[in-house]
Amino acid sequence: MKPLALVGRIAQLVPVLLGVSVIVFVMMALTPGDPVEIMLADQQATPQQVQAMRHDMGLDRPALERFGVFLGNALTGNFGLSFFHRRPVAEVIAERLPATVELTLAALLLAIAISVPLGVVAAVKKNKLVDRLAALGSLFGISLPGFWFGIILIILFAVHLKLLPVSGRMEFACEVPAITTLVTIDSLLRGRPDCFANALSHLILPALTLALPMAAVLTRVQRAAMLEVLRSDYIVFAQAKGISRRRVLWRHALKNALVPTVTVAAIETGSLLGGNMVVETVFGWPGLGRLVVESIFVRNYPLVQAAVLFYAVTYVLLNFIADVLYTMLNPRVRL
Amino acid sequence: MLRKTLAITALAMTVAIPAHVMASELRVGFTLDALTLDPANHRKRETETIIRNIYDGLLTRDAKMKVVSELAESWTQVDPLTYDFKIRKGVTFHDGSAMTADDIVFTFERLTKDGAMGGQTSPRKDLVGPVKAISKVDDQTVRFTLSEPWPILPAMLPVQEVVSKAFTEKVGSQGLATQTNGTGPFKLVEWRKGDSIILQRYDGYYGGATDIPPVGKACVDRAIFKIIPENASRVAALLAGEVDIINELPPYDMKKVEASANTKVMKVNGTRTFFVALNNTKKPFDDVRVRKAANMAVNKALIIEKVLLGTAEPLNGVMSPDAFGYNPNLPAYPFDPEGAKKLLTEAGYPNGVDVTLDTEGAFKEMVEAVAAMLTKANIRAKVNVVEGSTLRAKWLPTSEKTGDMYFTSWGNGSLDPADIFVPTLRTGDRGNSAFYSNKEVDALLDAANVELDQTKRADLYKKAQVIVNKDAPWMFLWLPQDIYGVSKRVSGWEPSADSRINLHDACVK
Repeated sequence: MKPLALVGRIAQLVPVLLGVSVIVFVMMALTPGDPVEIMLADQQATPQQVQAMRHDMGLDRPALERFGVFLGNALTGNFGLSFFHRRPVAEVIAERLPATVELTLAALLLAIAISVPLGVVAAVKKNKLVDRLAALGSLFGISLPGFWFGIILIILFAVHLKLLPVSGRMEFACEVPAITTLVTIDSLLRGRPDCFANALSHLILPALTLALPMAAVLTRVQRAAMLEVLRSDYIVFAQAKGISRRRVLWRHALKNALVPTVTVAAIETGSLLGGNMVVETVFGWPGLGRLVVESIFVRNYPLVQAAVLFYAVTYVLLNFIADVLYTMLNPRVRL
Repeated sequence: MLRKTLAITALAMTVAIPAHVMASELRVGFTLDALTLDPANHRKRETETIIRNIYDGLLTRDAKMKVVSELAESWTQVDPLTYDFKIRKGVTFHDGSAMTADDIVFTFERLTKDGAMGGQTSPRKDLVGPVKAISKVDDQTVRFTLSEPWPILPAMLPVQEVVSKAFTEKVGSQGLATQTNGTGPFKLVEWRKGDSIILQRYDGYYGGATDIPPVGKACVDRAIFKIIPENASRVAALLAGEVDIINELPPYDMKKVEASANTKVMKVNGTRTFFVALNNTKKPFDDVRVRKAANMAVNKALIIEKVLLGTAEPLNGVMSPDAFGYNPNLPAYPFDPEGAKKLLTEAGYPNGVDVTLDTEGAFKEMVEAVAAMLTKANIRAKVNVVEGSTLRAKWLPTSEKTGDMYFTSWGNGSLDPADIFVPTLRTGDRGNSAFYSNKEVDALLDAANVELDQTKRADLYKKAQVIVNKDAPWMFLWLPQDIYGVSKRVSGWEPSADSRINLHDACVK
């Protein structure tokens, strides 16, 4: 990849972020409800205190001015104080981000681990029972609402079978000093296989809930791509040369058939961040998604604005990563 | 793949850490994480519930909601504007340092002075009302001076916790958001944000309020608030034995919790009074007969049973049965639609009236039940769902008073009439959405406000309640209960009306 392309890509971020900031700001401003009123909800607040709080939060200034201040500060990485935590927004977000990253990565890995083999097998056994079952499974995966499926998993695996915990990220007895802030990896690095197992047991259900809809989409993409590739001349040629079927499939065909899957996976990872909000709430997962949902409910403007900007940056970067991977898998494509 | 993962996990779980089996540990499945651990820098009940196990206050409440001494040994009201508090000896903060009168003065200056928290002003400032100055009289005495009479000062002090002056000056207000040094029964081990707050018994604890036995150290070695926002998951965690107490048990899950051999439901009256404010200044509700008819038109018992699944207490007046000065002898308006129609005819509305019933979206279901019953008694009520802040503005005493009926509520965390009766029913007061005005009631409320003798003060409020009950400025409705799911291995704990979960006396088998 050329450095110029990279610069171009980063430059594209600027209008995207600006647009996103405007939209978020306007939408939050137009949403009925007032953070001060929500904060002092117990009706004991005197008008003086309400006024003082509004001043503290900068809400007594005109919207345009507030937006200007927000943009100016954001450029220097300062997103202000969270209205309700009364601490810097960046700090509050940073505390909750690792849990979301860990869950998203786990879900991504799980989705790929399910969908790629399944998609390949479905393509090879086209219209056979395996293929039909995969199609049915995909339909289920796409249709299941996360909040419902998550609760079903909890009732089955935690309440009845008592195999897995209902919620949380790791047992309290596990105190693993942070290295990467991903508790599964940190547990291993710190030589605590017991904590690793424990963290993994907490991770399975939310990751599965998050992974299934994505796996459903990816399976279909993988199957379609594989069918396409299997029809192409070079596969026929490879088979004609007498290369083993297994080698043709997994070495020659899969590499090309992965291209669309990777693209879709990267974009879907972006939407995993959105799906996180539901799954994190259901599983009491201490991530960013839940924080954002809670913040929207109480009109915590600074936090919502910063988090949405963060989502936007992540989304753009994921697309960029997808493009880079694309060129690696298929050198004919140039950035 | 899935099966393999599960098998590995199941295997791993069997070698997982059995630490909580050795030490006694109590877990609370809780709806919301603390916003901060700084007692002065939030305005959230859930946050206070957590903090209150780490920090003690000058005063606290027993399970019957009576205000009793905690860090104070006793208190006296010198005159309507002055209170003296004797400080208990031998109390230490978790770092071992002694608590002194200076810490208490510091705590309340931090709460009441503008910009006293590293430039920020405490959002809890007006919860200490008109407190003008706090001064140290001697090493064991602190004096509160008010700018105007405020009889609920003692009732409001249980929601303020005492911080260490030295520690706060050392870590700063920013530091106090995540680090703690309280005088409470538990000290903080770790705050895993969004996940859990892990507390450990403080062995140097002075024992807590002498009026709330047992006095002594906390019963359990460790207490954990585990944050589970989703109702279904919180219930599942209780049923799975992962947590011992859950708050906000949804009414429709009560049966499930009762059905389990290991768990039970516990209920307690809340502090929020629900009512329908009737516009007392405008036809048709300017006529007391029409207001009485409205009160007779609604079958409260049925709504409580069917819509609220039995989780509310019917009211005949303003206040909770747990509140100071509650009058238990108020007559109930009977459910009598025919009688209501008769009253309407007497008032000159033989064909009934057409009115609008305003409400917020959250209460739509209840309000529609109310409206249907009103309509059957010829008070044809149209439900009008409006966004909360717009509605509150429409029903301000300073507004144009255009509405007919307003389904609303008023929280009374202090459980004192000065904090609900006065603002909602005194002429022109800030929450008087019925625009009710009765000179006699005003006089009684004003007299109570400066009365030092608590028995006399209670009597004044009781008299005022009788008048209000007769005037029927509202449709008196109900007081919802807080519902908890509790494991049967927990003893020594009961829910309290102020929705705090104090774990000091809770034990686990």
